[in-house]
Amino acid sequence: MFGYYLQLAFRNLRRNPGLTALMIGAVALGIAVCVMTLTMYRAMSGNPIWWKNDVLYAVTLDSWDPKDPYNEDRPELAPWQLTYRDATALMESDIPKRKVIMHKSIGVLALDGQSIKPERALTRVTTSDFFSSFDVPFKYGGGWAASADRGPEPVIVLSEKMNNKFFNGENSVGRRIHWDDRVFRIVGVLDHWLPLPVFYDVNNGSLEEPEDVYIPFGWSVALELNSAGNTQGWKPEDITTYQEFLASETIWIQMWVELPDAASQQRFQAFIDNYASRQKQAGRFQRPLNNRLTKVDQWLIDNEVVENDDRVLVGLAFAFLAVCLLNTVGLLLAKFLNNAAITGVRRALGASRRQVFFQHLVEVGVISSIGALLGLAIGGLFLMGLRALYAIDPTDAGGTQALAHVDVTSVVTALALALFATLAAGLYPAWRIGRIPPAIYLKAQ
Amino acid sequence: MLEMHGISKIYRTDLIETHALRDFSLKVGDGEFVAVTGPSGSGKTTFMNVAGLLENFDTGSYRLDGEDVSRLSDEARSKLRNEKIGFIFQSFNLIPDLDVFDNVDVPLRYRRLTKKDREQRIRSALDVVGLSSRMHHMPSQLSGGQQQRAAIARALAGDPRFLLADEPTGNVDSLMARQVMDLLEQINEMGTTVIMVTHDPELARRAHRNVHIVDGQISDFKPYEPRDESLLSSGAAASPMAMSPA
Amino acid sequence: MTAWNLRPIASALWRNRTGAMLVAIQIAIGLAVLVNAVYVVKQRVDKINRPNGMDVENMIVVASAGFAKDFDYEASWREDLAVIRGLPGVKAASLVSNIPLSGGGSSSGYQAEPGEINPETVVEANTFAVDEQGVAALGITLSAGRAFEAHEIIPQREAEGDWETAPQAIVTQALAKALFPKDRDALGKTFYDGLNEPITIVGIIENMHGSWVGWDKVDQVMLFPRIKKAPNAVYLVRTEPGRRDAIMRTIEERLGTSNPGRLLRWVRPLTYFERQSYLNDRNMAIFLVSVTSALLAITALGIFGLATFNVSTRIRQIGTRRAVGARKLDIVRHFLVENWMVTTAGIVAGCGAALGVGYWISVEYELPRLDLYYLVGGVLGIWLIGIFAALQPARRASAISPAVASRTV
Repeated sequence: MFGYYLQLAFRNLRRNPGLTALMIGAVALGIAVCVMTLTMYRAMSGNPIWWKNDVLYAVTLDSWDPKDPYNEDRPELAPWQLTYRDATALMESDIPKRKVIMHKSIGVLALDGQSIKPERALTRVTTSDFFSSFDVPFKYGGGWAASADRGPEPVIVLSEKMNNKFFNGENSVGRRIHWDDRVFRIVGVLDHWLPLPVFYDVNNGSLEEPEDVYIPFGWSVALELNSAGNTQGWKPEDITTYQEFLASETIWIQMWVELPDAASQQRFQAFIDNYASRQKQAGRFQRPLNNRLTKVDQWLIDNEVVENDDRVLVGLAFAFLAVCLLNTVGLLLAKFLNNAAITGVRRALGASRRQVFFQHLVEVGVISSIGALLGLAIGGLFLMGLRALYAIDPTDAGGTQALAHVDVTSVVTALALALFATLAAGLYPAWRIGRIPPAIYLKAQ
Repeated sequence: MLEMHGISKIYRTDLIETHALRDFSLKVGDGEFVAVTGPSGSGKTTFMNVAGLLENFDTGSYRLDGEDVSRLSDEARSKLRNEKIGFIFQSFNLIPDLDVFDNVDVPLRYRRLTKKDREQRIRSALDVVGLSSRMHHMPSQLSGGQQQRAAIARALAGDPRFLLADEPTGNVDSLMARQVMDLLEQINEMGTTVIMVTHDPELARRAHRNVHIVDGQISDFKPYEPRDESLLSSGAAASPMAMSPA
Repeated sequence: MTAWNLRPIASALWRNRTGAMLVAIQIAIGLAVLVNAVYVVKQRVDKINRPNGMDVENMIVVASAGFAKDFDYEASWREDLAVIRGLPGVKAASLVSNIPLSGGGSSSGYQAEPGEINPETVVEANTFAVDEQGVAALGITLSAGRAFEAHEIIPQREAEGDWETAPQAIVTQALAKALFPKDRDALGKTFYDGLNEPITIVGIIENMHGSWVGWDKVDQVMLFPRIKKAPNAVYLVRTEPGRRDAIMRTIEERLGTSNPGRLLRWVRPLTYFERQSYLNDRNMAIFLVSVTSALLAITALGIFGLATFNVSTRIRQIGTRRAVGARKLDIVRHFLVENWMVTTAGIVAGCGAALGVGYWISVEYELPRLDLYYLVGGVLGIWLIGIFAALQPARRASAISPAVASRTV
């Protein structure tokens, strides 16, 4: 029976190719726009480390100006980053299973021999737990031990991209490379890693790729590095030396901890509250105590990673899909009712309402399947076009990678959405045509 | 085979109540050829719709092969229509984008027969009506008479208990009309019951029995002379569609 | 009015309302989207087209990163600037601490009176350290005062805090007004930084935009004469019109290999950064225009489809009307009126949605409220679309022959 209905469906669709094309086209376009917008939205708002959402926490203390909150719109939030003093002090705690303090920097990567042009590399200066905390995948080698942070040892981890550029993708563990004219030894090479968004540091926007290289945290002090991210301070301080910078109220360090259960979470919260109180007594932290441990999903919300523009676009995409589907429903209804005479004959010859309904549902299904697949293909094209819109400099792929990254979940979701939506849209017309009694159409005037 | 007793059908709109059929009774036995006649507006169409299970009725009873059809679900009625009734319409009502073969196939598809089964039935039916050579023509390539014959084949293919014909020659020229009527007679002689609704006296004359409807009721007035009232076949006669088991 | 047959048309429409309702809902959505899309696009386009005060089309930014162990920063930039300034077609070149319109920069708080910084009255400024050719390189217009003189430029120091600026500054009019709201002419006045150091205004810029285009104080800019300590240098170069690209290539050639202790990171036109800063706005406008147009096109097709269907199911009725005396024009009018009713129903339903969405946008984006002109324009636009979409089917209906009425098949 299904095969018969399929035959009839194709025959019917072929009979009026313009109308069929219009219906399939409308469905495909609606799906394509939704796929594109939802992929973008997800790239910016998804939680890329959802499996560790309950154990990872961003650490923030309110060390800000007593007269002025850090965030005027949301005064209950503490500043996103810590001072060097506070970060290193909090690192003393052994309560967390893993703890990370880090910041962004920039260094020039160069290889001896000068055959490859040196490259300016976005660098993450971090303590050793970074890799295990965030489940960063390695292709070769691994991270460094905690002792390397103290040294600091001249060890470096390369991203896949940097390893491809300088070593052609080979196993470069053990080899040497220059970072800002200093020799570092490669201990690890990352596999392809693109957490969307780059949740652990969203200070400079969310459509970014993770860093090119990673070096131990101790190098900040050793090389008197500044942050290449955000550096902010509320207090006018006369800072003339790097030591004064480290001791100042300038915030520039990000801190994350891994607390595997409620008990350790409570203990660590008590620890930082205690620390803040003691600092208060010493004259710092003049604002009300506001020491927070924030999970990744809430962190992304607080940081307003998803902006209004994104919401508007998602809303628009769904409005567009609605119009496309309504259009298709209207056209289907008109098409089916126009053929009511023939349907009436079939009913007279013995087709029950249910059989008529299913016959037309199959026709709807054909339209929705073709429309859905076409929509996915067009959506993919749109995403490629999106890369072009966002890429200002072809050599600077940067965040555009994030946009073109369509993973399996997205595709499956989009496909399911497409089929479901269009089938639902077709239910009404198919039902309507089944309801018509056969007698009316036989003496068609 | 077909027993209608005291059937009434009332059409109601907001303003008017029309009694299309009043206390209508009719019995048709196996192998009969009955013509139902009457002026326009008399209720012939309503009778056909009710007899064909296309519409329900308000009072009375209708038994088909002993089975009461009044309280059947849409599924059951559709099944009955499919298996027991063969429709022949005034305007043929062939499906324009299916060829003759596929048109005859339509009622068979709702029956769960094997492909071989269906093919055999279709070929037989087309043979009876003499359209075997035009099996793959489209309706638009056939004359009026040929289209009606194709419709008759479609009605026959399912081996119905009776053919229900509505002005079968209304849209056909007079030469073809004779052919169509010859065919209906031939099919009837082979044992299939035929109930024909018409206003044409020539056609009515060719039936065994006339039933005249006026204002929704059977009238005693017999305007036409039927062929032979006493020609009533009894019991089950061989049907042109009888087949040996596959 | 009776010739227009409004009531019979309306009741006939109501009896077959499903198709009409589907179209009406599409129109409602279309109106809401159209009105708000125009509203938002206009805001974005206005934002992108704001004058930024600089000669953006003719400006180049050069980035150098010194990485050798004993890199002589001062020698490096002196040499580079000498080369660049010597190129024919270069009007001016300056060291600059940050790149305007790039999304990256520094800002600090200042006030007119000395003393502790008062968060209620502190004035924020986007600050740029430049040398004596800074004003010329930026292409900005001074409405009062002068540019920096060579002797005022403070050379880099060994130990230096980020907070330090200079005793002189050139500020934009917007910044001057923010600091000294009651003074018509702030030239020569003194204000104070967070460390209570006095700064005198020696020049006032008519208009200039700073680093962050999305900041509501983007036009509060302060230039100060200083060379900041760093192994990385950024040069701002202004060229004669039309010569920018050629000079870019020349700079790449000349500076690319001139100093092995440093990496010439890139040479980019300032328009690169401008484009990057406005990328989201520009793309948003493009999306809105594209999707809205597609949406309206599909709605128009839907109206066309419904009208065509209505005509095809009523062929006999139309023929009959013509047979009893209706002119072709009457038939066309009938269908246009019918279509207009559906469109209007959709518009009425959509007005609420349009205003509702407009309200949400104005709140979330902190924009002025949706002007009713947009709504009126949207309504007119949708009406026009409705008429055009239904015109051809209506004309086809009028072409139906009156003879149709008498046919039986």
